[in-house]
Amino acid sequence: MVSKTGVYVCHCGENIAGSVDVAKVVNYSTTLPGVSVSREYLFMCSDPGQELIRKDIEAGIVDRVVVAACTPRTHEPIFRKALEDAGLNQYLFEMANIRDQDSWAHWGDKEGATQKAQRLIASAVAKANLLQPLQQRYVEVEKSTLVVGAGVSGMFAALDLAGMGYKVWLLDRNPSVGGNMAKLDKTFPTNDCSACILTPVMVQVANHPNIELLTYSEVEAVNGSIGNFNVTVRKKQTYIDWDKCTGCGDCVTACLGKTDNEFNEGLDSRKALYIAFPQAVPKRAVLDQDSCINCAGSHIGKEHKINAKSGEPMLAPCEKVCKTGACDRTLAHDSGGESFDINVGTIIVASGYQAMPKEPFKEYSPDSPNVITCMQLERILSATGPTDGEFHRPSDGQKPKTVAFISCVGSRDKNHHVYCSKVCCMYMLKEARLIKEKYPETEVYIFFIDVRTPGKDFEEYYNYCRELGIKIVRGRVGAVDQLPGDGLRVRAYDVDMDTPVTLEADLVALATAMEPSAGLADLGRKLGITCGSEGFLKEVHTKLYPVETSVKGIYIAGCAQGPKDIPESVSQSRAASSAAAVPLTAGRVPVEPFSSSVDQEKCSGCGICVPLCPYSAISREEIDGKVRAGIEIALCAGCGVCAAACPSLAITLQGFTADQIFAQIDALTSVAGGGPID
Amino acid sequence: MISESENIVFNLSEGEPRFVAQIKELGGEEILECIQCGKCAAVCPMALAGFPIFNKKLIQAIFLGAREALLDDSSIWACQSCNRCTEICPRDVRPFEIILAMRRVAVREFAVPAMSVEGLKSLYDVGHAVYLKDSGQTRQKVGLPEKPPSVIAFPKALKELQAILHQSALWEIGIIPMEGNEMADTCEV
Repeated sequence: MVSKTGVYVCHCGENIAGSVDVAKVVNYSTTLPGVSVSREYLFMCSDPGQELIRKDIEAGIVDRVVVAACTPRTHEPIFRKALEDAGLNQYLFEMANIRDQDSWAHWGDKEGATQKAQRLIASAVAKANLLQPLQQRYVEVEKSTLVVGAGVSGMFAALDLAGMGYKVWLLDRNPSVGGNMAKLDKTFPTNDCSACILTPVMVQVANHPNIELLTYSEVEAVNGSIGNFNVTVRKKQTYIDWDKCTGCGDCVTACLGKTDNEFNEGLDSRKALYIAFPQAVPKRAVLDQDSCINCAGSHIGKEHKINAKSGEPMLAPCEKVCKTGACDRTLAHDSGGESFDINVGTIIVASGYQAMPKEPFKEYSPDSPNVITCMQLERILSATGPTDGEFHRPSDGQKPKTVAFISCVGSRDKNHHVYCSKVCCMYMLKEARLIKEKYPETEVYIFFIDVRTPGKDFEEYYNYCRELGIKIVRGRVGAVDQLPGDGLRVRAYDVDMDTPVTLEADLVALATAMEPSAGLADLGRKLGITCGSEGFLKEVHTKLYPVETSVKGIYIAGCAQGPKDIPESVSQSRAASSAAAVPLTAGRVPVEPFSSSVDQEKCSGCGICVPLCPYSAISREEIDGKVRAGIEIALCAGCGVCAAACPSLAITLQGFTADQIFAQIDALTSVAGGGPID
Repeated sequence: MISESENIVFNLSEGEPRFVAQIKELGGEEILECIQCGKCAAVCPMALAGFPIFNKKLIQAIFLGAREALLDDSSIWACQSCNRCTEICPRDVRPFEIILAMRRVAVREFAVPAMSVEGLKSLYDVGHAVYLKDSGQTRQKVGLPEKPPSVIAFPKALKELQAILHQSALWEIGIIPMEGNEMADTCEV
């Protein structure tokens, strides 16, 4: 049967037509073998554009469709739907990308771009002529979701899905939920107390019958695809039996090992046995084995030493004071913790951010205890912080008389991060305001490059801060010098006065950049999601698919995608929960029919394909007494590795058959395809 | 650079903390509304004429408490009172009022150019800030009365003007000698 292929060339407004001679391309298309009609339109994806295709199909002029336009990434589903609506199998469709891969890439070279468009269309037509109808498959969806990261974004995503009736696993690598927001004192622009609005949410996620907390846990491996992800979770070793622990804190008091307190950003120390912070959820103790000093010679997994005089076993202080028996160091705890698998239909990644430390910024005297990051200042200002909310500087506990904030530390800086961290202007203003309101006699300076306050009620907040007498100086600080004593000298340039300025300050707060949290790239690899050049996880489309990732069924929320404030993080997390609920609600999801199949006649049973399959979908099985490769369709992801490797050409990847691909290559490389190849 | 003084670098720590409050008291109430957008400077004749401290920079200098540097600079006296800055300011800062407020600060410190003091003295003595003593003859030559029909021709009106000036801040400040003001004796003008 000779195919009747229709070619539809899109102008994409000026995007394509600005660099490709569309009329010429349309004329050329009609000369290609198998082409019955060729048309052009300003926006082929619009309703009138789709109507052109539908009419031709319904009139019987066309039984294969090639659209030469933007990208299948966003527009293939739209055109496939148009085929279906007109009664044609949706897989009798091929797209030629003459925008991203042609007009944009060769803008200004109209002749070259036009030739390349012709070649790409010839290739698409060659494949389209050989297309066969395929049937979409469906898989049943596991009605549960894994949310990675239990900060404000993750918690809201979990609550939404749990509220819809779906089972949610809420995972965090820290012992408590809460994330970075739990460290904040107040939150702009309303100056709500962070703990007052966050801690009730933490309690909610812990008590929700549909949410299961997996704190102090990490994602070890992810297999499967949308609807059926199999996730291996590793619960790190706490060395405390959480079923028995009541969070009383007696063991923490008794513990003698010490290390830097990460919750207070290293401003004070915590015990080796610790509860993350007083409002932690779950409120359970964790032993940090690296800081444990094994009191009384009590090593994990070893019997207690016996006191020579009394003959009694010598217990470590933590064990002595524990009333519930949760702390038993003689048990053979596995330092690796415990691994187990969970099955989920969708995954939301809300793994957050980390604030840069001060150390990389040598020009700002990071050795001085009075040069701190704004996150550290947040802890100093917080009632739950190392100074109980009293405004004391680290070196001597004195109340600072002059405070200088420095903006864009590590942001908009090619040596660190080129992006704007987006929230620093506002959090600096907020911290400055909290200081100025509580201690009006304090001189507060903020050194900015630009003040960026584009948010609801943000500019008003900025104006209010100026009226409070907070001094705004435009110009990046060049240096912070340590003066004799504990003082600091800030050296800057006031762009508005056009003069160099200096300031003697008691405390300097650096608005350090928000950067991807540690291990994000590794997590992305496990999930199959790519990171952008700046290291944050990449969404499919900034505007239209902001919470979707390149892996179907995996969504992103909050600062894992890029710097965001709390309102924006929560908005995005609720968007992600809504997107993640769609497949759960549908109950089944369509799967592309692009799976591999084995021609049993050709297969020699060599088994080369078996170890190559990344999805473990192929096994050797006995068919009619002969060993042959067998493919489990439900596991096949259609990657095509087996088809490429098979020495007998016995494996066919539907939708990408060998003859289709060779036809494409022939068309691309033939002289008739639009001019000679150089 | 904010002034031609020896110290190129301005030390913010030496700024006058109450300076903004003083400017607000003296008529520059809206100074903290300024976000240094520069629209006023774009139309300011002082800026166009190359004076170092025009409206926008004056506001920032006040903001940082650069009182001494401002007193050392005479730019504010070059303001032509065109009022365009106040008309176009998008935040109702009223920069011209701030220039006037700064002049009030400067007058209180006797940080006034000699020409301005002469003008004030002339206003008090004869009723005109600028009055050319020998203009009478020229006037007569073209058929005008020797004195113009202003305060200068009416001694009673001059007394009234002086009475008004006695009620003004000039009396307290004593920057020019005034009849019956002892402070004026200490003035070296």
